[in-house]
Amino acid sequence: MNKLSPADLEKMQKAPNGAPKDWIKVGMGSCGIAAGAEEVYNFFAEEVKKRNLQIDIKKCGCAGSCYAEPLVEVSVSGLPSVVYGTVNKEIATKILEKHVISKMLVNDCIFEVLI
Amino acid sequence: MYNKVILIKDTDLKRQDKTRDFYTHLLDYLRENNLHSEILLVRVADIGVYDKGLVLKMLPDRNTYINVQDTDIKRIVDSILQGKIIEELVFRPKVKQHRIVLRNCGNIDPENIDEYIFSGGYAGLKKVLGELGQQKLIEEIKISGIRGRGGAGYPTWMKWNFAREVESDQKFVICNADEGDPGAYMDRSVLESDPHSVIEGLIIAAFAIGASKGYFYIRAEYPLAVERINKAIKQAYAYGLLGNNILGSSFNLDLEIRLGAGAFVCGEETALISSIEGKRGYPHPRPPYPSVKGLWGKPTVINNVETLANIPAIISKGGKWFAQIGTQTSKGTKVFAVTGKVKNSGLVEIAMGATLREIVMDICGGTLSGKPVKAVQTGGPSGGVIPESLLDTPVDYENLQKLGSIMGSGGMIVMDEDDCMVDIPKFYLGFCVEESCGKCSPCRIGGFQMLGYLKRISEGQGKPEDLAQMRRLSVAMQKASLCGLGQTASNPVVSTLKYFEPEYNEHILNKRCPAGKCSHLVTYSIVGDKCKRCGLCVINCPPKAISGDKEKGFSIAPEKCVKCGRCVDVCKFKAISKD
Amino acid sequence: MAKIVQAKINGILVRVPSGTTILEAAKGVQIKIPTLCKHPDLPASAACGICIVKIKGSSKMLRACCTPVEEGMDVITHDPEIIEIRRTVIELILSNHPNDCLKCGRNNECELQKLTAEFGIKDESFPQFIRDLPIDTSTRAVDLDPKKCILCGRCVYACQEMQDVWALSFLERGIKTRISPAGDIQLADSPCVRCGQCSAHCPTGAFVEQDHTSQTWKALQDPEKYCVVQIAPAVRVSIGEAFGYKGKNLTKKLYAVLRRLGFNAVFDTSFAADVTIMEEASEFEERLLRGKNPLPLITTCCPSWVDFMEKFYPDMIEHFSSCKSPHEILGVLSKTYYAEKNKIDPAKIYMVSIMPCTSKKYEITRNDEMFASGFQDIDTVLCTRELARMIRQSGIDFDSIPDEECDSILGEYAGAGVIFGATGGVMEAALRTAHYFVTGKELKNVVFENVRGIKGIKETEVVIDGKKLKIAIAHGLSNVEYIIKKVQEAKKNNQELPYHFIEVMACPGGCVGGGGQPYMVTDELRIKRALALYQDDDDKQVRCSHQNPYIKRLYKEFLGKPLGEKSEKLLHTRYKARPIYAK
Repeated sequence: MNKLSPADLEKMQKAPNGAPKDWIKVGMGSCGIAAGAEEVYNFFAEEVKKRNLQIDIKKCGCAGSCYAEPLVEVSVSGLPSVVYGTVNKEIATKILEKHVISKMLVNDCIFEVLI
Repeated sequence: MYNKVILIKDTDLKRQDKTRDFYTHLLDYLRENNLHSEILLVRVADIGVYDKGLVLKMLPDRNTYINVQDTDIKRIVDSILQGKIIEELVFRPKVKQHRIVLRNCGNIDPENIDEYIFSGGYAGLKKVLGELGQQKLIEEIKISGIRGRGGAGYPTWMKWNFAREVESDQKFVICNADEGDPGAYMDRSVLESDPHSVIEGLIIAAFAIGASKGYFYIRAEYPLAVERINKAIKQAYAYGLLGNNILGSSFNLDLEIRLGAGAFVCGEETALISSIEGKRGYPHPRPPYPSVKGLWGKPTVINNVETLANIPAIISKGGKWFAQIGTQTSKGTKVFAVTGKVKNSGLVEIAMGATLREIVMDICGGTLSGKPVKAVQTGGPSGGVIPESLLDTPVDYENLQKLGSIMGSGGMIVMDEDDCMVDIPKFYLGFCVEESCGKCSPCRIGGFQMLGYLKRISEGQGKPEDLAQMRRLSVAMQKASLCGLGQTASNPVVSTLKYFEPEYNEHILNKRCPAGKCSHLVTYSIVGDKCKRCGLCVINCPPKAISGDKEKGFSIAPEKCVKCGRCVDVCKFKAISKD
Repeated sequence: MAKIVQAKINGILVRVPSGTTILEAAKGVQIKIPTLCKHPDLPASAACGICIVKIKGSSKMLRACCTPVEEGMDVITHDPEIIEIRRTVIELILSNHPNDCLKCGRNNECELQKLTAEFGIKDESFPQFIRDLPIDTSTRAVDLDPKKCILCGRCVYACQEMQDVWALSFLERGIKTRISPAGDIQLADSPCVRCGQCSAHCPTGAFVEQDHTSQTWKALQDPEKYCVVQIAPAVRVSIGEAFGYKGKNLTKKLYAVLRRLGFNAVFDTSFAADVTIMEEASEFEERLLRGKNPLPLITTCCPSWVDFMEKFYPDMIEHFSSCKSPHEILGVLSKTYYAEKNKIDPAKIYMVSIMPCTSKKYEITRNDEMFASGFQDIDTVLCTRELARMIRQSGIDFDSIPDEECDSILGEYAGAGVIFGATGGVMEAALRTAHYFVTGKELKNVVFENVRGIKGIKETEVVIDGKKLKIAIAHGLSNVEYIIKKVQEAKKNNQELPYHFIEVMACPGGCVGGGGQPYMVTDELRIKRALALYQDDDDKQVRCSHQNPYIKRLYKEFLGKPLGEKSEKLLHTRYKARPIYAK
């Protein structure tokens, strides 16, 4: 990596070109990890590969709703971004099959608060 | 493809959850009108509004309707189609979270500096190095009105200015990440979720005073935070945001991590300095203040994680912008870690001036048990207990102090009627007694003796004159202790004595614990007419204190009962009474 | 020149240099603010919480011991609220203190006891809590009773900062905090050098010299024993403090008192100091002129310094004078020369050393050479404080007892012998004789002003026989490092030696500030005591050890010559490395 100049910094703050990609973001703060976020993250990563889905699996920190960890935010074109809470493998499967593939929202798992 | 989404959740705690019923009714209506492929319905687990009956939230316009009835279905669907708002049903929350410190938390990948930069990161630093310069930077911080978020609320610009004015060959900046209050974890979360915002704040602080070396003092119990800060520091070095000639300027700063071994007192700044110097974590008298004579005897600014995380935002958006948030004396926002008997425990960032009730009831959804809130404790072991009757107090430094508590670092613990106001201060004081460094006698022995009184009272050995002795002790501890730990350790006791003296007297005079928490004062018994004689308690009683048979009924032998509460937990008929 | 600040204390105007603490400033206007942790000799630790004062306009209370007076400050040092808080704090300390004053080594001299009396505290308001911690008697010099410790931190500061020994530290925290060597080992297994500065500064009875008065009484009562006694130079100018005199030389009164106590003969360590000089100056001459052993020569009169060097700087052993400390020399002479001359069975002689020092208690069994007479050369060491107690117990009216002379010849000292008690004294005495040994000529002026005084490290040059000799003197062990490091560096790089002759005394001020001296010592008092010794020297007809006719007689009748066969056998010792934390 090169040392940045002020101009470099400015450049990096401009939005990239091209259509926004779909992504799944897993909350990986201590609270998330303690609640099983690592397992969920790995599950997504493996399944996406296995099913050959065009979606990024990303990590982020704690959004604050620690009671509902692991939290997973899903952004898929055509649907509003939503945050799923208390996600386990079962819910994660639903997220992939229903939300990502069938473009539906998963019932009873969305935590709308705080975010 | 759906253009409209409706989120549905029944938030009424007193009845059975009607979410599914309403969902079905609404779906039926949409089907009947052939709208079900246009409007997507979804039942959610939490909708962010509490105790307002059936709540609907419309996406993408985010209108929220509360106390919705089946009869409202038609007009709601109509309004969606027409793009109108139903004023009678709409809910506009008085208080919303206001995210400055947590602006990136949960949004960006904390291990990727590019994401931080993309979200506007290091623009503040660029501005400081490019246009502002030391004087104007401190002026901007002064305009913002930000005060230290570590607890004491000292104006940040003054700290910086003192250190800037002292002439010295070397100066230091330390980020105090020795978060130790039980139940508080705001700083950990920020360090884990947005490490660069803290680093950027620290670099700016270093520039403000002319420091060439910075330290992160993080407790070793935060391994993930340490790991992420470590990575972030490496990335910042690689980008030339740390080291020599930062962003091409003449400013140099080196930054390293020092791990704390977890002593609570090392969050006190003079003890923290001792710890970094490799000495026993003992506080030292002030003055001289660290900003004049700190680490290795050099001018040192010590700022808390949350304070530093605010700095880049203040620089980017301006001190004036920050100063319009909050109250007259307390500007900006505050992050609280709300825990205890609360439904939604987690981090809440609100503008100063929001009331405790709004935080606890509106944002965090009240108690998990549904029982009324009895009190809220703020400020950790140095804070006080604020009774339910005062929850409408707007939160700022001065108000909380007036109530006998403090802002502290941001721990907020919610209590319901099952919490005993002798037991709570016993817990907090026990923590301080354990964590007292042992240097000065008022704290070391005073805290220990005070805890003795609380223990005796909770065990039914209290005497009426104890309360006066405790008050005398608390004055000595407050006035004669050397550092903040001892000076404030008695706050939980003083505040509970102030607001809940009858509860103390109940323990002392009647040997009763109204909350049923103090096990020495609680007797368990089986209420005959409620007991269905299922025998579940008998099987589950560890010391086998429950005897009897299904014919005659059961009873608990008090001499055998260890008051573990297992029978209460297992009884499905609420047939075990605690008194 | 420090800025002058103006403030008010209890309404009285004070003008003090900036940086002066409230405690100091108050003293200047006759207001005494009580404290248990601030010792006038040490920086404030701010531990006890008793010296709190109010500043008008602030709800906080500040510690007077460490808060500097600021311009315009309006201080209140005493009002009912402050007094009540102080009382509470004292009561708290008492609730964590055994309060068995009658059986305590500090009874009547305890600062906590005194303050308790001043506040008229009679009841136990808080339940007693005392941890069952064992007493550490392992050093044979100073006992640590952690139960009595109020954690003022004076001893830790003295041990770590003043003495650079780091034997003591705080262990654990909260109510369990206690003073102990790191690693919770016994003091004897720690770096402790027994200097006793902990005991000299302790406000209570947590650190007390190991009491050897009863075995002394027992010996004095034993008709089979022939009890003899010697007093160290520094004792004569400090013992009076126990009886209301300050900085007064009471040598002859002390001789009389000791005879009344029942000693058969009274000697003076200053005589043996003259012997030490004969040996040490000869050693110096040998090293300087004949290069037998390397320079610099380092003095070894101080057993704590010897212990410190054996632990921390064993590479310096070859520079050490092999000469024993004066009281050991007197011990061995009393059981050989004196016994022979007076036809007394040396087995019956019981030698008691009255020393300003706790370390000497350890020194008497340090190694085999302390038994050179065939017996333990010194049977008991009492420090100044113990002697004061014995005098009181004996009912002797110290004030009016008439002067007496000591027993010849082991008490006949030259001026050089008595200045051993002050820092720089050994050096000055040695230079007087070394000059004669090297040049064969007597000095016209025997006073070496540059080696005197209370400065921690003194470096100077003297010219002997046209040769410039570089000299260093350190007192307070924290000042040693600077000097030894210089020697080590020079040796490593084969450079010119930084010094020819080095004197080290473990205690600040030298023996006048010894760890066994009366309490509440300050630099002011150390200087007073030292001046009284220099006055004694000044008053003497004979000021150089080699001129002392009794010394000449001793060598003629008994020892032969300095560094001769007999001297080597009786008066010299060896050293060895003693690794710390060996166990």
